[in-house]
Amino acid sequence: MDLTDKLIVLADAAKYDVSCASSGAPKRSSKGKSGLGADTGMGICHSFTPDGRCVSLLKVLLTNFCIYDCQYCVNRRSSDVPRARFTPEEVAKLTIDFYRKNVISGLFLSSGIIRSSDYTMEQLVRVARLLRNQYEFRGYIHLKTIPDADPQLIAEAGLYADRLSVNIELPTEISLENLAPEKNGQSIRKAMGRIRLGVEESTAETRAPRFAPAGQSTQMIVGADTTDDRTILDTAQRLYGAYGLKRVYYSAFSPIPKSPGTVPLQPPPLMREHRLYQADFLLRGYGFQADELLSSGNLPLDIDPKLAWALNHREQFPMDLNRADAMLIARIPGIGMLNAKRLVQLRRERRIRFNDLVRLRCSMEKVKPFIVTDDYRPQRDQWESHSLRRSLTEQPAQMALW
Amino acid sequence: MRTIHFAGSFEAWRPIARKLLLDQTAPDQITWQAGNDPAADLFASPDVLDEPTQPSVALAIPRKLPELLKYAACYRAPDRWALLYRVLWRVTRGDRSAMLAGDIDGAQLHGRVKSVRREAHHMHAFLRFAERAEDATPRFVAWHEPAHDVLELASGHFHHRMGSVSWLIATPEGAAVCDGTSLSFLSPCPDDLRQLAQGTRDDGEALWRAYYSSTFNPARVNEKVMRGHMPARFWKHLPEGDLIPQLATQARAGQQKLAQTESVGKQAGRQVLIARERAQPVRPLPTSLDECRQCDIWQNATCAVPGAGSSHAQIMLIGEQPGDHEDLAGRPFVGPAGQILDQALASAGLDRAAIFVTNAVKHFKWEPRGGIHGKAATRKHATPKPAEIRACRDWLTKELADIKPLVLVALGRTALASILEVHDPQRIRLADYSGRAFKHDGRWVLTAPHPAAILRNRDEQQRRYFEELCHALTKAAELISTLH
Repeated sequence: MDLTDKLIVLADAAKYDVSCASSGAPKRSSKGKSGLGADTGMGICHSFTPDGRCVSLLKVLLTNFCIYDCQYCVNRRSSDVPRARFTPEEVAKLTIDFYRKNVISGLFLSSGIIRSSDYTMEQLVRVARLLRNQYEFRGYIHLKTIPDADPQLIAEAGLYADRLSVNIELPTEISLENLAPEKNGQSIRKAMGRIRLGVEESTAETRAPRFAPAGQSTQMIVGADTTDDRTILDTAQRLYGAYGLKRVYYSAFSPIPKSPGTVPLQPPPLMREHRLYQADFLLRGYGFQADELLSSGNLPLDIDPKLAWALNHREQFPMDLNRADAMLIARIPGIGMLNAKRLVQLRRERRIRFNDLVRLRCSMEKVKPFIVTDDYRPQRDQWESHSLRRSLTEQPAQMALW
Repeated sequence: MRTIHFAGSFEAWRPIARKLLLDQTAPDQITWQAGNDPAADLFASPDVLDEPTQPSVALAIPRKLPELLKYAACYRAPDRWALLYRVLWRVTRGDRSAMLAGDIDGAQLHGRVKSVRREAHHMHAFLRFAERAEDATPRFVAWHEPAHDVLELASGHFHHRMGSVSWLIATPEGAAVCDGTSLSFLSPCPDDLRQLAQGTRDDGEALWRAYYSSTFNPARVNEKVMRGHMPARFWKHLPEGDLIPQLATQARAGQQKLAQTESVGKQAGRQVLIARERAQPVRPLPTSLDECRQCDIWQNATCAVPGAGSSHAQIMLIGEQPGDHEDLAGRPFVGPAGQILDQALASAGLDRAAIFVTNAVKHFKWEPRGGIHGKAATRKHATPKPAEIRACRDWLTKELADIKPLVLVALGRTALASILEVHDPQRIRLADYSGRAFKHDGRWVLTAPHPAAILRNRDEQQRRYFEELCHALTKAAELISTLH
């Protein structure tokens, strides 16, 4: 198998991991130095594939041979897929070549489990070590962390990698038991705990070597089991709180060739994944709690979670933009955190008027029923939530024919 | 009405604008004429900067404004200099809203700044270097067509990125050349450099194209999002550009319901043959405490935290429950409260290794707190319920039976409630028991404030609590020596 063939197989096998973020790394520069690579802390999307996803990193598996039998995964041992394996040198060289051409900002390396967790983790660490030490590579490195690997190996991985991630895989312990018999919720949580402690120890001492400076993330598969959105968001909220995760990625389960009977044959609506991301954003940045956003079941697909929250909390609206606190303004549907801050800035100079919002490019249809400005009061203030909801529902699009 | 001729750069505009402001020339009195406009010579006026200045107001502008103006100056529009001057004029006359995004001029200014930043980012993202022969200079060349004047703004990024190799970026307007150490700009772009940049092909592109096709997920085609992020005007210069419509069409043609790349699916596959038992990772056997499901606290916890210390300890300290750090580390009193405890132990002359430290409840009970812009989400300690304290008493009973301590120190009410088997902390007052040792179930019991309570309090109260803790620990040490 030549390098191109391996790349085709191992890039295909890696696409189920959705994260491609390259942000949050410390500032590094190769200006006037040997080696290459820089980081500004800002991610760069070097390309986009027609699925709308960004290509920021070289995202490959070291190998898609795997001794585990996770039912939702295309690379499970019982799956009939072409298999390939890179040598650590091949991955390092590919990364450097692509980086020079400016098509990537770094590497996201994961792997199937071969031989043992320790052996696999050791191989991943070897690639990172090669890149950092031999090639003096200062770009971004994200290493997938094998939860059962020796803590020593995870500690070493954190020295080379900007980000580490351990996948939680499924939202509940019971689903994990059913669908990923070799995985264990507690060992996953313990690995996350270890990474959090590693990050905290290195930031506590100024002279300590940086440990995974871009933090850790995880991925949860949505729609491979019957877990509802409330449980998913609770799990996410727990992970954010307990392990200081930067991100939880939600990956809509995608049917795999020769799918086993234990997982569905149909993918969940992609809109569900989208709504989960929106809700997640509200948990991370807006101070919302999962139980505020929804009491049980799934998020509505026809309206976004913030609008749904506002419709359930009409007693807080309409909100006077000239008086309300910035954090509350950010809770108005159609006004984001940035615009909330801008409004507060502007009202120090003068009173807020309706047209200011138009200029700030707030989505006015959503905003209108919920605000009061100097020259505006909502006409639909007296409307019942359900009729208001009907008028705000995103227009149904015609279904695709296939 | 004045027509101002100048070189068309921000550096040239700045002193002129300053001069005009000092002269109190209103924006509607000025026409800006930038660059080598042939008409310029016809209506040439004397250089504004040579005119004498009348002493007038001092110019004070907010610190953030020059940066905004500098970016907006890169925006290609016929009125770019007029807008800059109008904003500057309003701000210097006290109307600061002119530089805010909610204002009519401010909105335009911010819109332009955003476009320019975006275009610089596009250059960072979509520029492609072609590699030349090992001994060629420059080693890497790129042709890029930005929509705004961002070459100088965006080139420094590549200086940081490329290390000590030489490179060239050519654009229709100018070129950036780096010899590996210093970066210089040429404007207009020399013809030979333009040809070099446009004419160099790179064999390595095939690998990248293979990667691009393979990382694409045909089951979730979403061209609208892609076009939003990567405008079609860049496609023609991307090695993967012609693949975009091709891949999208193939995926939409309906053969693909799977995420797998078609060419991979066609290859012969193979299973990994290994017995189910051999695939199981080797893990330490879970302790029965770890698997305790007597209450629901375990669900949110990382692991159970058993007591730790000497198995022959005569003194046992009992806290409420593990905290944030203890939950991650799996050991009791290792976080901030543990540090307070260590200080108190030291002052009482006790060695932590010689005693046994544990908690009434073995899993950490907590509630999530949502993150607020820029501040990470955290977790907040929650008090265990009486039923949960009771459910965990068996584990404490077992530790008491194994270690056989002579003296117990209850750190806080929950610990005391558990020792007394009252289980409901609300039903006891710590004050009723504090300050003296009493016998319970054949052991001496002392009470003290929990170290976390010391951390929560301030000043006098904090000092008093800490003294109470030290006092109880000293008392415990004395009791042991009298018991011998």
